[in-house]
Amino acid sequence: MPSSTSSFDSEEVVLREIPALSWSRVTLVALVLAAVGLGAWEAYWRVAQQYDASYRNSDGQWAEVRRRVDANEPNATVFIGSSRTLFDIDLDVWKEETGVHGIQLALEGSNPLPVLTDLANDDDFHGLLVVGITPPLLFLPGIGLRAEVLEHYYDETPSQRIATRLSYPLETTFAYYNLDTKLFTVLGRQAWWPDRPNLPFQQPEVRKLEEMRRDRQADLWDRVETDPEFHAIVTGTWRAILEHLPPPPPEDIARAKFQALLDQIAEDVAKIRARGGEVVFIRPPSSDFFREVERKAVPRERVWDPVVGAADAVGVHFEDYPALSDVRTPEWSHIATGDKARWTRSLISILKKIMTDRGIHRPEMQT
Amino acid sequence: MLFNSLTFLVFFAVVLALQNAPLPWKVKKTNLLLASYLFYAAWNPPFVILLWISTVLDWRVAKRIYAEERVSRRRGWLAVSVLVNLGLLGYFKYGEFLLENWQALMSMVGVAWTAPDWDIVLPVGISFYTFQTMAYSLDVYLRRAKPADSLLDFALFVTFFPQLVAGPIVRPTQLIPQFQKPVRATRNQLLWGLGLMTLGLFEKIVIADGALAPAADAVFGAVKPVPFSDAWLGTLAFAGQIFSDFAGYSTVAIGVALCLGFSLPDNFRFPYAAIGFSDFWRRWHISLSTWLRDYLYIPLGGNRKGWHRTQVNLMITMLLGGLWHGAAWTFVVWGGLHGLYLGVERFLQRRFGGAKIATTFGFKLFLGLLTYFLVNLTWVFFRAREFPTAWRMTRTMLGFGVEGSEPVLSSYLVVLVVAVTAGILLVHGFMRNRSLEQVVAKSPWWLVGSGWAAMLLLILIAQGSGDAFIYFQF
Repeated sequence: MPSSTSSFDSEEVVLREIPALSWSRVTLVALVLAAVGLGAWEAYWRVAQQYDASYRNSDGQWAEVRRRVDANEPNATVFIGSSRTLFDIDLDVWKEETGVHGIQLALEGSNPLPVLTDLANDDDFHGLLVVGITPPLLFLPGIGLRAEVLEHYYDETPSQRIATRLSYPLETTFAYYNLDTKLFTVLGRQAWWPDRPNLPFQQPEVRKLEEMRRDRQADLWDRVETDPEFHAIVTGTWRAILEHLPPPPPEDIARAKFQALLDQIAEDVAKIRARGGEVVFIRPPSSDFFREVERKAVPRERVWDPVVGAADAVGVHFEDYPALSDVRTPEWSHIATGDKARWTRSLISILKKIMTDRGIHRPEMQT
Repeated sequence: MLFNSLTFLVFFAVVLALQNAPLPWKVKKTNLLLASYLFYAAWNPPFVILLWISTVLDWRVAKRIYAEERVSRRRGWLAVSVLVNLGLLGYFKYGEFLLENWQALMSMVGVAWTAPDWDIVLPVGISFYTFQTMAYSLDVYLRRAKPADSLLDFALFVTFFPQLVAGPIVRPTQLIPQFQKPVRATRNQLLWGLGLMTLGLFEKIVIADGALAPAADAVFGAVKPVPFSDAWLGTLAFAGQIFSDFAGYSTVAIGVALCLGFSLPDNFRFPYAAIGFSDFWRRWHISLSTWLRDYLYIPLGGNRKGWHRTQVNLMITMLLGGLWHGAAWTFVVWGGLHGLYLGVERFLQRRFGGAKIATTFGFKLFLGLLTYFLVNLTWVFFRAREFPTAWRMTRTMLGFGVEGSEPVLSSYLVVLVVAVTAGILLVHGFMRNRSLEQVVAKSPWWLVGSGWAAMLLLILIAQGSGDAFIYFQF
């Protein structure tokens, strides 16, 4: 702190000095160079990297879709889960087959259970809830990758809400305006950085996987399927993550935690049913190395079966239905875009049949 | 509303258009006032009421103080202003902290008492505008200023959106006179203002959020102890981040105001080139340090009551300055360390100030680096949310490593932190005795244009995270 006791110079009006330059010329140079640079950057991503403009799957976009539950669609069908539910469900087919425009709330790399609890506590919701299960993600502490999404939904400021709307035209115009192409994300993933000795495993960033619409319909990006180099990057990322899964906790702790999780699911499902809603569970397909790891680490009989049992709910596991297994999963974890409509149609047909057989009456799921 | 948001860009474009429309000055000021309320309400509408309370209270109280001749009455009215302003600040910002400490105190004396839940949202920028409005009442009380003639001008002074939520904390005599007569930015003011806005956003989006925050977050959020190298890199990253974040905000604020035709004072003058701590505080958050000097340190007696009392006054001022930043003891320790540094510096100056060596370049460089080193130690307490983390980091940085440490920074982050920190230090060193305006004025126009373009481009392709400015929480 300046310790002079005599100075009150800070109280005077001081008009700011303007550097004596030709500011029109300066501004023109700045704008032209910035525009040229931005154009080159955009062209690089579009031409060399085959990116297209797409919605960014922001927290604001999720909140916008989530508000449909509260606003005028309390009877809607809501999807929660991880990226498999997000990418594999075709909302257009769902509407065609059920008459309902589904509300897609699944989040990549995330555990759906906190969102299940949130919807269970939302008196506005009494529709059909489809919960996608990706077994390893059930054990994440909290939501996981999209940890702040619920907080954003509840605490979203008017300014943030407007910013989300203002961002949409940019997202659908500029291919570079994408989370995968942020400057420091791009810099950080370059291969030229040497490994640092003794640095523990750091989870690699998952690259762009989807093209998204405003209603959060997301399709697996073509390049994952068609570009062998990009395909190898994505499967390499899955392999790195799966080979470094944290060790399971001691048996007794794991059992206690899992029982608490099952109790919470049962409680949440009961709350939704008490309001006239219904909950069904689905297990979308995985393949190859992903499937192998899941079979070993989180086998069906130890995770899927108890979850569905605890909820006493309809559960559709892809292994039980050839129509749900017979799809391509190019990078082991998500259905190819060309197969998702057929898969969604099959899923609806199976759900309708099971629900009818069990006497669960939902108007949108009548055969 | 955040400067680094699309909402602000649209908002600012509308305000700028209205400010340049052929409208009477009073209408333009009213527009600015309404825009300022909208700017604040865009975060949380009900808290605009707090601004109204502060405005109406200090407007009325200052009139009373000015009209009153009796000292006791004047003091009484001043006390009303100070108590209400600090009361609101205390309730929203320090309520939980006080309750927690009271609970701990009761526990120490054997009384089992549990503090009630204190789930209160902190109104953004409350520390800034509280100090700004208090300065008005205090100036009138101290007869340094007359009350404003117009409630509109005063309300605009309290609420002026460019500096409302994170400063610079402006004195009434700096801003209210600018509202009294019509102003309109010249073309050069407008373009220079836009240039300053670009510089500030570059500091925030590219340097603070993009380049440095990941390393600082990784180190201070590490579960296990980190080694010496990572502890230092994380702290250097935070030193650069906090400067770029806060100075970036101030620079945008100054630029926005300039585009509208108003001048705000500098809040930073390349503080990492400081030689000593008096110098540091003449360069860091200048509007707060001068506020504390004028309204706390000097009223306490400043340096007029002898050596020991000066030290006590300095320490009280810095401790409260630390607490101003946040309701946590770590901030108090941060302020206390700065108070200690200032005290030791005054002692050394008195003892060795005349030595010839003190004027040599090499010695000044050494002192500058020593200042930077010690400032970095204080940032540990500013950034760490708990004492165990702060102690662990400090021990490691001083070479007393902790067993079981594990690095957390990739080679990419190591290179980024080293390069950006070196860049910041070189720029601050070069600019130590210069102003930005001087340097820009001496540069060729095409170079300034190219630099501006580079910053603009980097802002656009870095994309930003939309994170709030760090000082919003204060």
